[in-house]
Amino acid sequence: MAIVLNTKFSLGLTIIVYLLLTGCSTHVVVTGEHPPVLVQPLDYNVGLVLNSSFTDYSFTREKDDQKIIITLGDSQTQLFSQIFEGIFTSTQRLQVKPQITTSPMDLVVIPRVEKLQVSMPDETSLNVFEVWIQYKLEIFDTNSALITEWSVSSYGRTQTRFLKSTESALHQATNSALRDAGAQIVIGFNRIPKIRDWIKRKTGSNNAR
Amino acid sequence: MPDNTLLSTAAWSLLLITTLAGCSTSSIVDEQRSDTASLELSSGERLVIMGRRHGNSYETEPDFINCISNNVANTGKFSVMPEQEFLDTLYPWFEPRVAPLKLQGMSKTLAITVVADRIKAIGIRYVIWVDGSTETTEEKGSIHCGMAPSGGCFGFKSWDKTSSYEATIWDLKHLTEKGKVKVDSKGASYMLGIIAPIPLIAQVKGVACEDISSQLKGFFSQ
Repeated sequence: MAIVLNTKFSLGLTIIVYLLLTGCSTHVVVTGEHPPVLVQPLDYNVGLVLNSSFTDYSFTREKDDQKIIITLGDSQTQLFSQIFEGIFTSTQRLQVKPQITTSPMDLVVIPRVEKLQVSMPDETSLNVFEVWIQYKLEIFDTNSALITEWSVSSYGRTQTRFLKSTESALHQATNSALRDAGAQIVIGFNRIPKIRDWIKRKTGSNNAR
Repeated sequence: MPDNTLLSTAAWSLLLITTLAGCSTSSIVDEQRSDTASLELSSGERLVIMGRRHGNSYETEPDFINCISNNVANTGKFSVMPEQEFLDTLYPWFEPRVAPLKLQGMSKTLAITVVADRIKAIGIRYVIWVDGSTETTEEKGSIHCGMAPSGGCFGFKSWDKTSSYEATIWDLKHLTEKGKVKVDSKGASYMLGIIAPIPLIAQVKGVACEDISSQLKGFFSQ
């Protein structure tokens, strides 16, 4: 009887200790479909390099005994694949930057997460969950020369009162920031001055042939 | 004992007075039309009601937009496309950062062939933009609750809510603004702590939704 009680006591204590240790931790795995983009595709063959630091990306913040982990690698991989397949007529997804000789491509794009910031309702006067994601896109030409580095800062937020938990609020705010990033890339890509110049040169050289 | 009776009577009287006088919501509706004729919606044409979310300090709540959309659609006389479906179908052209704020911007968006073709394909004739929010403006009092069994809630708390929304109707066929509806609603809510907390909530946002929906329905020929 004493052994049974001791076992039960140990189990209960373990559960309590586990809950105390993990109780202030929030882990959000961002999932969900992104809508297909509505855009007239540019007639180029593009390599989209999504390396493991991008596809497995996870953000961690520890502040005031509260730990927040946002895993968004899968979701941003799906988003970037989808938007580049929409912007260009041909997009090849790659894990590493290709060699010039083996895979001739018009452009090679390598995105990376520069920064992710989270703001909780008690940290601002707005009483909302906010997420900022800053991406940097390196864009190379067919000779592997860097055309430009493009920074995209996206923002997403959620009204606290609509959501049941911190997890679902952060999930929604992150999804909203991803959606904003997608919108900026789709609309802004061919408005980048150096990309515009590159398109002009490319169109000119194609017409000259 | 008489003290208890007196206390109980006072509490019930307060509850009754608050129920009758409190929770009241006042609403002011203002309408502006570009002409007196009703708006046409031919068969196969639809409308979409969208919230403005470009501001820093607030965003028009999705549940408020759903409320108006449902009210307008429930008449069975208009076909209303859900906001999220419209946003996804036209992604990314109506996202908060890029959505046209004026008709001039809408004209530029419609100059993009793929966007114009998609809007035509889904039959959207009118876009109704709703801009505004509901805020808690004033809070007074407090309620204290103790642990059971000897505890209970005691106190009084009140708060005011203000809803202010403006709906603007755009006709995409003629690229014109057809009218505006502005609704300002106010109401006070109360929470009484008499052993258990008794909430008396004013449906400020609900009233604003009803008012704006019925005004919008009035714009269309039925």
